[in-house]
Amino acid sequence: MSQRQLAYVFDLNKCIGCHTCTMACKQLWTNRDGREYMYWNNVESRPGKGYPKNWEQKGGGFKGGVLQTDGKIPPKEDYGGTWEYNLEEVLLQGKGNQVVPHEKPTWGVNWDEDEGKGEFPNNHYFYMPRICNHCSNPACLAACPRKAIYKRPEDGLVVLDQERCKGYRYCVKACPYGKVYFNLQTGKSEKCIGCYPRVEKGTPPACVAQCVGKIRFVGYRDDKDGPIYKLVEQWKVALPLHAEYGTQPNVFYVPPMNVTPPPFEEDGRLGDKPRIPLADIEALFGPGTKQALETLGREMQKRREAKPSELTEILIGYTNKDRYRL
Amino acid sequence: MNPSNLLKQLAALGMAAATIGLTANTVQAAPASKTIRVLSAAGVDAASPEAAIWNKAPATQIALQAAFPGHGSIVGTPVTERITAQAVRAGDRLFVKLAWNDRNANTAIKDTGQFVDGAAVQFPVNGKADTTPFMGDPVNAVNVWHWRADGRTENLVAKGFGTSTRVPFEGLKGTAVRTNSGWAVVMSRSLKVKPDEGASLSGKGTMPVAFAAWDGDNQERDGLKAVTLEWWQLRF
Repeated sequence: MSQRQLAYVFDLNKCIGCHTCTMACKQLWTNRDGREYMYWNNVESRPGKGYPKNWEQKGGGFKGGVLQTDGKIPPKEDYGGTWEYNLEEVLLQGKGNQVVPHEKPTWGVNWDEDEGKGEFPNNHYFYMPRICNHCSNPACLAACPRKAIYKRPEDGLVVLDQERCKGYRYCVKACPYGKVYFNLQTGKSEKCIGCYPRVEKGTPPACVAQCVGKIRFVGYRDDKDGPIYKLVEQWKVALPLHAEYGTQPNVFYVPPMNVTPPPFEEDGRLGDKPRIPLADIEALFGPGTKQALETLGREMQKRREAKPSELTEILIGYTNKDRYRL
Repeated sequence: MNPSNLLKQLAALGMAAATIGLTANTVQAAPASKTIRVLSAAGVDAASPEAAIWNKAPATQIALQAAFPGHGSIVGTPVTERITAQAVRAGDRLFVKLAWNDRNANTAIKDTGQFVDGAAVQFPVNGKADTTPFMGDPVNAVNVWHWRADGRTENLVAKGFGTSTRVPFEGLKGTAVRTNSGWAVVMSRSLKVKPDEGASLSGKGTMPVAFAAWDGDNQERDGLKAVTLEWWQLRF
């Protein structure tokens, strides 16, 4: 158990699916040395297969407090190819007339982007960014016979000691979120480190700092004046992803609300029901979803009526100081 | 498993090893004392599993069992049932040859779910058979020579489950060939090493030794391995 726990809130109502978070992480940590296929941060369209493909069916986590050992190690093809384009050849050297990948892509990190679900014009999707959940009860940590994975006592970030790791991949099997990766070049496993060298300097993680939509909040669970405590504990509008996996994740999501207009009725007018079925959102964020959406709706309505709303003020997060408390 | 069951099982395995159809004249049934006789042969190079000296060195068939799973993550049943061990001392160097059945050679990790074949020889660092053969304990360390089918041979020291640590040591060599039925591997090292480099074999009449094998095809790694559940004796 760590002394403090760093946590994140991602407001899905503000995510525009630009992938700047993903690029920030990749540029900083995973564009080299066997990590090319890894996306410690990814943004997936929901409903969708996600990254790695069908990670919600990979198994792992805990049931009744017992570590599950039937998890799968996703094969490389489920993460997707790492193709390169002949940009220099075509654009700079004037050879050839078409920019093409060096191999035929069949699956990639964002292969099913924006596909979502439903029939036009009532189809729907929303974006869900994912990083390591830096769980309070990490399955990856529990699964490692070598104690190569530990929670940093000062901030609860879950990190993987490259010296201790022997590449057994029990952690890859055990993480129900598919957020531990095996580096084929080094023969060891790797994962999001919560940008701890930045956090130690009071700077938010790269994926947080670069977020264009300013959807990301970061701070400590016990900081009652910070946005994390207020959104998770006080307003209860930020919910863990798949809490039933038993790992006590520390990334919380404000569920999507009105990210698409209501569905069209037969006569072409907009209806009054939400386009994304509540059950679909509950499947991700659990039984607290309904109440969270009601609270959000109520507070948004206040705002529309030009009445004050502390919750919407927090969610707007005007300045870095409002969103980051490190 | 309670101790009496374990003894019964080990006794049964001894019987099984004694009745296995032997294919080479030099292969001996496992004696009750679980001894592997070291052939002394000055001036020979036994580094290759195909070196002529291995036709002379006594070969011992050793039954292997599933290792005690030291952690809840370790599930499954290893497939290797027996291993043939031989040992040659040439000057100040000990050569240990292991041969075992393994249908497919798993020599590289090309995808995230692949594991390589392997084999290991283990000695108690203090040379005493009262060291636990299950990776040692915090007081009584073990020295493991770990051959991996990707070409690496690692010198490890362990003080209990999950503690094996690579100790840099240039002098441990491993050479492997594929046989008709699997692998033949020779690992060798000078008898004498510095105390922090592993178990010294110098000046010993006998030395406890244990063995392990991993089949990468069966996702075997770490404690998912076939092992000798008790020490054998190398008799110099």
